[in-house]
Amino acid sequence: MSLLRVDSVDKSYGDEPVLHDVSFGMDRQQVEVIVGPSGSGKSTLLRCVNRLTEIDSGEIYLDDEEIHGVDENELRRRVGMVFQDFNLFAHLTARGNITLGLREVLGLSKAEADAKADDYLDRVGLADQADSYPAELSGGQQQRVGIARALAMDPELILFDEPTSALDPELIGEVLTVMKDLAEEGMTMLCVTHEMGFARSAADTITFLDDGEIVERGPPEQLFENPEHERTGTFLGELTGLHQ
Amino acid sequence: MSADTVDAAVGTIRGRKKVVAGVVGGALWLWLLARWAAHNTLLDSVFTAIGLPDLIRSEVRVGAREPWIPAEPFAAVAEALGGVAAAVGPAGVLVEWLAWPFELAAFATSTGPALAAGAFITVYLTVISMAFGLVIAVPLAVTRVYGGPISSSLSLAYTELIRGTPLLAQLFFFYFGLPLAGLVSGIGLMELPGAPRSAAVVAIIAFTVNSSAYQAEYIRAALQSVDEGQLTAARAVGLSKREGIRHVVLPQGLRFAIPGWTNEFVYLIKYSSLAAFITVPDMFRRARDIGSDTFQYTEIYVVVGLCYLGLVLTTAIAMQRLEDRVALPGVGTSTGRE
Repeated sequence: MSLLRVDSVDKSYGDEPVLHDVSFGMDRQQVEVIVGPSGSGKSTLLRCVNRLTEIDSGEIYLDDEEIHGVDENELRRRVGMVFQDFNLFAHLTARGNITLGLREVLGLSKAEADAKADDYLDRVGLADQADSYPAELSGGQQQRVGIARALAMDPELILFDEPTSALDPELIGEVLTVMKDLAEEGMTMLCVTHEMGFARSAADTITFLDDGEIVERGPPEQLFENPEHERTGTFLGELTGLHQ
Repeated sequence: MSADTVDAAVGTIRGRKKVVAGVVGGALWLWLLARWAAHNTLLDSVFTAIGLPDLIRSEVRVGAREPWIPAEPFAAVAEALGGVAAAVGPAGVLVEWLAWPFELAAFATSTGPALAAGAFITVYLTVISMAFGLVIAVPLAVTRVYGGPISSSLSLAYTELIRGTPLLAQLFFFYFGLPLAGLVSGIGLMELPGAPRSAAVVAIIAFTVNSSAYQAEYIRAALQSVDEGQLTAARAVGLSKREGIRHVVLPQGLRFAIPGWTNEFVYLIKYSSLAAFITVPDMFRRARDIGSDTFQYTEIYVVVGLCYLGLVLTTAIAMQRLEDRVALPGVGTSTGRE
């Protein structure tokens, strides 16, 4: 039984088609990496899964439940999201960023929420920054708070929308380390990323999306060593070359 | 460029000037509060009830109240300078100019009690209207930015209607046009000696409506300056749109709105003087009455102008302090730009 099943999803913005007939499924504890050129619809696909964007047609199942039949706030509690621009709540401390959801959505008491937030900050190596405001943290630290914020809600699945693309090169490592740890602990992760090193070592499956369609999908070895389509090989080759 | 020249705006003055402004402003407010307390009916009844000596003279009518600062020293200096002016012949004009501030000070001390009584009304008209206006403005602005097509155009229509018509016309509309005055005095909402009691309530209603539209515009702009990703992130955590606006957008947006809000506050302090035209005995009306009693129009308008200036400057300084106090790293305020 797959945790997430995306079934013939179509989406367009006005006359501009973004996703066309996208279908795939992923199991619990799987790490799925979506790659593709910019404008290929990767981020839109991710946002369709937690309904920040609504699809035009098709179905998306989470745990065999069609997500459009679920309350959207409940859905988003179950599906965490990490953003390219971190999007930390600017007026709240690192701890406050995590406790807001715990208190308002999960209904935890202040003490419980604080304790849980501190736990998760510790897990991403930021126990000492609990009282810092986002503006006082580095990009890498902010993104780790972003991950802790998503993680603390006990989601079944976390969506990563290019989590390292806004970071300076020397800060990417700390975020990827946290993500790799999560993958090893068995978190189900759907990641859009250009980090080929991460894709290669942590992903169970890589999906190559181009022009709103899935061109090719398979385990990393297959896509990197032996792609069926020339486009896949060219794209991955360019990215890997760039990032070496 | 130094920080001092960059932040030359009112309320952001620094250093020794700030101390001077603080002392003068503090003295003004100390005097005002003391005057208000000395003639307050409520305080009087409290004092009487707990058996304290009869210090508060609430029964003294505004016109008969004693000034605390004597006018004689100022008048004496002015007279002496006048004597000197007469003695030095044509060049005495210059000395007469020197004497004028002292004449003005003597006049100010004798009119002070009446102006203080008026200032009380000016201040409460402004503060209450600003507060009620804010209560209306926040939902208006939120509706404008986040509402559906119908509710946001309704909000826009309200704002533009109010902003597009003169405040005095609105005041007259509420006072003469609507039977509000009769209604208010029928319920007996507020007792105000020396004036139709309904007038002040009608003024508060008109100012509230007017200022809500302006405040809504300032808040709308501030809400729109909050990064869109903030609400997206709140929704992604599982907060509803309403919760996201309340817990994430408003706390940031309202901080951004403080400078604009200060502007509206300062405007309303001055424009509350229009209440004089519907018989409310505010500071401006007292000044007008004193002018027509004494024919010293120039003097009284200079004095009342200085009083408004004092209120405005102290408000601006207080709002700057509020802005600094609620500032957070990275949200609002000018820190880091110096």
